Amino acid sequence: MGSKKEKDKIKILLVDDEQEFVNTLSERIQMREIGANVALNGEEALEFVDNEVPDVMVLDLRMPGIDGIEVLRRVKKQYPDVQVIILTGHGSEKDEEEARRLGAFDYLQKPVEVDTLVTRIRKAYKQQIETSFMAGTFAEAGEFDTAKKYMDKDKDKDKKKK
Amino acid sequence: MNPETEKTLAFFGRMTANLTHEVKNVLAIIQESAGLMEDITAICPLAEEKYQERFNRSMATIKQQLNRGIDLTTQFNRFAHTPDRSSAELDLADTVGQFCLLTERFARLKHISLTAGETAGAQEQIRLTTNPVQLFMALFFSLESCLNTLPANTAIRVTPQKTETKRPAAEFACTGEQAPQPGEFFRQLKAAEAWSELNDITAQLGGQIALDKDDLRFWLVF
Repeated sequence: MGSKKEKDKIKILLVDDEQEFVNTLSERIQMREIGANVALNGEEALEFVDNEVPDVMVLDLRMPGIDGIEVLRRVKKQYPDVQVIILTGHGSEKDEEEARRLGAFDYLQKPVEVDTLVTRIRKAYKQQIETSFMAGTFAEAGEFDTAKKYMDKDKDKDKKKK
Repeated sequence: MNPETEKTLAFFGRMTANLTHEVKNVLAIIQESAGLMEDITAICPLAEEKYQERFNRSMATIKQQLNRGIDLTTQFNRFAHTPDRSSAELDLADTVGQFCLLTERFARLKHISLTAGETAGAQEQIRLTTNPVQLFMALFFSLESCLNTLPANTAIRVTPQKTETKRPAAEFACTGEQAPQPGEFFRQLKAAEAWSELNDITAQLGGQIALDKDDLRFWLVF
């Protein structure tokens, strides 16, 4: 189980149209000291992200309305720093290829052990932190164009958060 | 395979994949709800130890059966996607493992054991590019031929292999005290209706069937 500090730090968004599943999963993740929010469809997820950018999104693929692939495409386009973990009951290899091509951090089959999911969430978060660290490192090394690329992402994120 | 058959298979595949997706959602809800109960009792155990132990035993059974259901549904979901592509590059060990999990019940009903064998000393994957549906059919007709030939309390092991000429192959090896001698085994095997289907499908795949006349073994070579 994680620390209290971690609960304040990692912000995750769970997106799934199976309300019973996603609410119970959210509760279990919160018991592991990670702050979790829930969206029950693609539209709700995109709206949520525009108001409060999560660090990690756990996303189902098959949902009514805007499906997971489209949510992934839009989120990675607007907020490339958000790490997206696909959690789906759909086993198509084509879907996995497409999700990874669009920048999904990981692709898991539903159902998954909660501790496995939490491990992947922490890994995804760590990668996000490292990306931010890279921006600082590039700036220190005088590679401002590369650093700016990272900083612009953060700026957009902060602006949206406000 | 003609276009009409491919369309029909694709239709069944889509329907089945859709249903297995729903079943996985059901299993996911049960898993999370059971997991939550476990999390809660880990923080706040039941007042009497004997009830906590009983609770833990029941929870272990639920998790064991959930894992079984998840394994089967996952493999079946993958199987339902088999007609998605008329040709695909496959890992033969993965395919054989999936096949044995999905068809084990056919063998169990006849009191015959079915297992996927491990390739001896295999350092690299045995891969082949083929029609996934037809490959499954070839494996199934092989199994059905064996099941029609073998008595109860015997065993079938399916092992992915590479031939001396480096061609991918699936070995079907049958064992058991009650099993017939090789001559009788192959006579009965060839008389099985499934064997004739196997010959057709193997030819369509461009493969061949090789027999070990001294043992209860044969290979599908691709």
